[in-house]
Amino acid sequence: MTGLRALAESDLGGILEDSLTGFGWPITVTNPAGTSAELTGFSDDISQVIDPDTGQAVSGRLASVAVRIGHLTDNGLSIPRGVADSTSKPWVVSFDDVNGNAHTFKVAESNPDRALGLVVCILEAYTP
Amino acid sequence: MTLELIDKEDTFEVVRDQIGAILATESANQRSLATAAGKDPELWKLRVYLERANPWEAFRDMVDTSPIVNVWFDAASYPMGHGNTVERQKSEARYNIDVYAYGQSADDGATGHIPGDEAAARSLARAIRLARNILMAAENTYLQLPRGTVWRRWPQSISTFQPQLGEQPVENIIAGRITLEVQFSEFSPQVEGDEIELISIDVNRARDGMLVAEADYEFPL
Repeated sequence: MTGLRALAESDLGGILEDSLTGFGWPITVTNPAGTSAELTGFSDDISQVIDPDTGQAVSGRLASVAVRIGHLTDNGLSIPRGVADSTSKPWVVSFDDVNGNAHTFKVAESNPDRALGLVVCILEAYTP
Repeated sequence: MTLELIDKEDTFEVVRDQIGAILATESANQRSLATAAGKDPELWKLRVYLERANPWEAFRDMVDTSPIVNVWFDAASYPMGHGNTVERQKSEARYNIDVYAYGQSADDGATGHIPGDEAAARSLARAIRLARNILMAAENTYLQLPRGTVWRRWPQSISTFQPQLGEQPVENIIAGRITLEVQFSEFSPQVEGDEIELISIDVNRARDGMLVAEADYEFPL
């Protein structure tokens, strides 16, 4: 690969996966077949206000991860997606917070950016 | 000037508190009955609150995921054709019984999973079902208040709200609302009239003067 786009994808890897001087963070991704991969990417888990339309808010969380598509495919995984079918296993993502507490999530939706080779997965709570 | 200190609760307050009390006590009773029937009592649990306005944070740590019920007074109207201008007016009051339900995706122990959005919707339906059945149970026809307080209670509507569009939160939370109309009388301070005259009536038989009947009437009545 050559050109600016390939360079941007390479830079993306440098930004996403720098766990020494950057915000790179270990993330485990498991596909519905049970294949897991240990990746490095960005993870977010912050508070969010949920508006259930009653006029009164519910405090919640917003969690997401951003990983490099190339490293997913290198590990035998495709791009994660939300699985609505209850007869299938969902894509599962797990990572620790900065205090060392483990959290497991189901991929609710994914937003792949195939131009840059990045996928952002929006997560919901999951009991494995 | 009204000489009487207005130190009472209006009926719309009494009814609101009573709706909450009935839901709380009946939910606890249903849990006992479920335990006796060998079923999971948590499925009959409602966490009942009155007039709460702070954001709900109970679901965030997922410690207790049973549905939350918030009872609040919405509005009342007073049709002029019922009651009188002096003492009593009929009130048609609307109470919102808001239900918040939580659902979490989970492994089903087999080859699939339990979707959290569907679990939240089913939990909401179960809580609405429980609340409606409690409030419309025969025992609560008059909301267990002294007879004559409540004329009628009636579920005006049940609605559920769509999950929030946009960013998917970690928690699957969905809300619904039972709008309950309750009709009752509202009373107001009254003037205590002073006795200004006593009318006494004696009825005597003319033939022998025997007292047949007597009556005393205070005026005003």
